[in-house]
Amino acid sequence: MRKILTIGLLVLFALVGVTSLAQDDVFRIAALMPSATNDLAFSQSMYDALVAIQEELGEDAFEFTIQDSTYIVDDAAVALRDWAASGEFQLVIAHGSQYGPIVEELAAEFTDVSFAWGTRQDTFGMDNVYSYAAASDEGGYFNGVLAAHLTETGVVGLVGPIEVGDGKLYADGFANGVASVDEEIDVNIVFIGSFSDVPLATEAAETHIANGADVLTGTAQMVVGPIAVAVANDVLWFGSDASQDELSEDIGVAFQIYKWDVLLLDMIANIKDGVLGGEYYKLTLENEGLVMEFDKDFEVSDELMALADDVIASIVSGEIVPIPEMMADDKAEEKTEEEGED
Amino acid sequence: MAGRLNRLVDFAPVLIALLLALVVSSVLLIALNANPFEAFDFMLKGAVGSENATAETLVKATPILFVGIGITIAFRGGMINIGGEGQMIAGALAGVTVALVLGEARVPAEMAKTPGAFDLIIVTCSLLGGFLMGALYGGLAGFLKAYFDVNEILSTIMLNQIAVQMMNFLLNGILLDPAEAGFNNIPKTARLVTAAQLPRLSLPIGDPWLFARTRLHWGLIIAMVLAVIIYIFLWRTSWGYRIRAVGENQRASSYAGINVKRQMMFSMFLAGGFAGLAGVVQVLGLQYRLQTDGSPAGFTGAAGFNGIVAALFGGLNPIGAIPAAAFFGGLLVGAQKMQRELGVPASLITAVNGLIVVFVVSSEIFILQRSKRRVSEGEDETPTPNPSSKMREGPSPTEDENSGEGDG
Repeated sequence: MRKILTIGLLVLFALVGVTSLAQDDVFRIAALMPSATNDLAFSQSMYDALVAIQEELGEDAFEFTIQDSTYIVDDAAVALRDWAASGEFQLVIAHGSQYGPIVEELAAEFTDVSFAWGTRQDTFGMDNVYSYAAASDEGGYFNGVLAAHLTETGVVGLVGPIEVGDGKLYADGFANGVASVDEEIDVNIVFIGSFSDVPLATEAAETHIANGADVLTGTAQMVVGPIAVAVANDVLWFGSDASQDELSEDIGVAFQIYKWDVLLLDMIANIKDGVLGGEYYKLTLENEGLVMEFDKDFEVSDELMALADDVIASIVSGEIVPIPEMMADDKAEEKTEEEGED
Repeated sequence: MAGRLNRLVDFAPVLIALLLALVVSSVLLIALNANPFEAFDFMLKGAVGSENATAETLVKATPILFVGIGITIAFRGGMINIGGEGQMIAGALAGVTVALVLGEARVPAEMAKTPGAFDLIIVTCSLLGGFLMGALYGGLAGFLKAYFDVNEILSTIMLNQIAVQMMNFLLNGILLDPAEAGFNNIPKTARLVTAAQLPRLSLPIGDPWLFARTRLHWGLIIAMVLAVIIYIFLWRTSWGYRIRAVGENQRASSYAGINVKRQMMFSMFLAGGFAGLAGVVQVLGLQYRLQTDGSPAGFTGAAGFNGIVAALFGGLNPIGAIPAAAFFGGLLVGAQKMQRELGVPASLITAVNGLIVVFVVSSEIFILQRSKRRVSEGEDETPTPNPSSKMREGPSPTEDENSGEGDG
C-alpha cells in the first residue's frame, strides 16, 4: 500500500513538475491600452499584434493579458504595478505616450521586469525599458499625396488628438504630402486636445466640411466620430493606426496600419536572450511595421495605384523624407551625442 | 435603544441594495460567460487581497474623501456642487505652480532628487495654494448663485469645462515641462523636486513596515484629520450651525438674522477648497507632476464626481465619508483587477460599478423618508437634508428683499 502511495505521489510530483516546466516556457505579456481593443485605431492595433503573435507562436508558448480603456493615468499605475509586482510577466507594455512617467518610476523599482512603452523615443536611460514609435509621418505623407489628387474643392481636413507622438507626426506628414502635390490646397488641421473625446472630434469634422473640405483624415481612437461624419456627408476618408474598412463603408480610401508584432517579436527574442531593454524601435514602411492598405470598397485606378507604389518606394529608398525638419533635428541630436561621447 | 434600532433598520436597505446590485451584475457577467463568484472574488482580492491592493484602495479613496468632505459641506449648506472636477483641476494647477516655483527657489538643482528630502514650507504653501484656488473657483459659483441666482448645478458644470481647457492650455504653454518643449511634447509639468513631495506612508508593523513598498501617502492622513475637523466645525460651532441652518431652510434662516448669501458662498468656498486639496494632493502625493490626456478624468480619475456619491453614501457626514470613500476606492480598484483577470470588457466593469452606485444611493431615499417620518412623529433626530427639497421651499433669499444682512 505504501509503495503504491509512494509511486502515486512520485507520478503526481512528476506531472506537477512537467506542468511547471511547461508553464515556465510560456512567454507572457501584459499590455495596458488607453481605449477599447475594438477602437479601430491605436489600441486595436496593439491588440491585433498580440493576437497575431499568439497565432504565430501558439497558445502554449505565448500568453497575454490586457487592461483596455485605461484613459485615467493613475489607473494605469495601479495595473502596471500589479503586473510588475506579480512576477508573472516577462514584458509589461504601456501602450500610450501618457504612461511614460509611470513606466519611468516603476522601471526603477522593478529592475528585473522588462517594460515597453510608446509611442516615444525615450528609454529613460534604463536597461529594462524598451521604447517604440511609429513613423506615422510616412503613412501620413502617402495619404496626403493621394488626398491631394482626389480633392475637388482644394480643401482637406485633419482631426488630431493632442499634438504629440504619432498623431503629431501623422499630421505633419499628411500636410507635407498634400503640399508636395499642390501647395495651393488648404490643409485645415485641428487638434482637439483629447484622445477620447468623440463628440468634440465629430464637431471638428463637421466644421471641416462646413469650410469646404471634401477629404477628411484623422488619428487616435476618437476618429469613429469623424468617420461617421464623413460617411453621412459622402466625403472621402483616409485613416491611420488600424484598418477602418468596416466603419468607413464606401468612403474609405486608404489606411496606414501599425504592425506592432514586427517589433514585439524582436523584443521577445531579446528578452529571452536576457536583454531586458535599453533599445528604441520604430515601425516604418521599410521594415514593414507600417503597411498601407486601400479600402476594399474603393476602386483604385491604375494611375492612383502607380502613384501609391511610387510614393512608398520613394519613402523606403529615402528619396522622399516626409518631414525634413525632423530629420535635421535628429541629425543635430546625433551630432550632439557624438560630440558628447568624444 | 430605539435610536440604535432605527439606525440598524436604516442600514438594512444599504445591504439589500448592495445584494441586489450584485445579483443584477451577476446576470451581466453570466451573459458574457464569466463566473460571477470568480469575478467578485477577483474584485475583493483587487481591493483588499494584498498589502499593495489595500494601499491602492486607500490611495484611490484619498481624493474621493477630500471631495466628499467638500460636497458634504456644500450639500449641508443647501448648495449642489457638481464642480468637483473643475475645482480639483484649479487646485492642482495652483498647487503645482507653487511647488515648482518654491522648489526651484529653495532646493539647489543637485539636490532635486535627494531621497527622503522634505520641505515643510514648500508642501504647506502648495497645499494652501491648492485649497485657496479651489475655494475661489467653488466660491465663484456660490457668488453667482447668491447674488445673481445663477443655478449652481449649471455654473459648476460649465466651470468644469473651463478648468479643463485652462489646464490643457497651461500644460501646453507656460507650465509645460521644459524637457518636453520642442517637436514632440506631452502636456505635463516638470517633475517636482523630492522635497516638494508628500512622503509615503507606512505603519510600524512587521519588517519592512506595512505599506512601505506601496504608493500610500500622507494625503490619506490629512484627509481623515480634516474629516474629523469638519465634523466638529459643522456640528459643534456656530459657523457650522449657520451653514446647516441655511441648508435646512433658507427663509427661516434669513428671518433668524443669518446672512444667507454669505453662508451660501462660504459653503461653496469650502467645498471648492477641499476639492482643490484633492487635486493638489494627487500631484504632491502620487504623480509628482500634473499631466493630462486632454480629458478631465484623465487627471482627476473622476474623483470630483465619485466624491458626490461617497458624500451621499456617507450620510452627508464627514466621518461617514471616510468608510464611504474607502468603499468606492475599493470598488474602483477591485473592478480593474476583475477586468485584468477575467478579460471582460471595460464597459462591463463600468456598468457593474454603476449598478452598485445606483442601487446603494437609491437606498438613501428610503433612509431619508424614514428619517423625515421620525422627525414628523416627534423623535429627536435631524433629518439628512435633501438638496433638491429647497426647490419646493419657495423663493430663494436672492429673490427675497428681507434677506438678512448680519450674521447670528
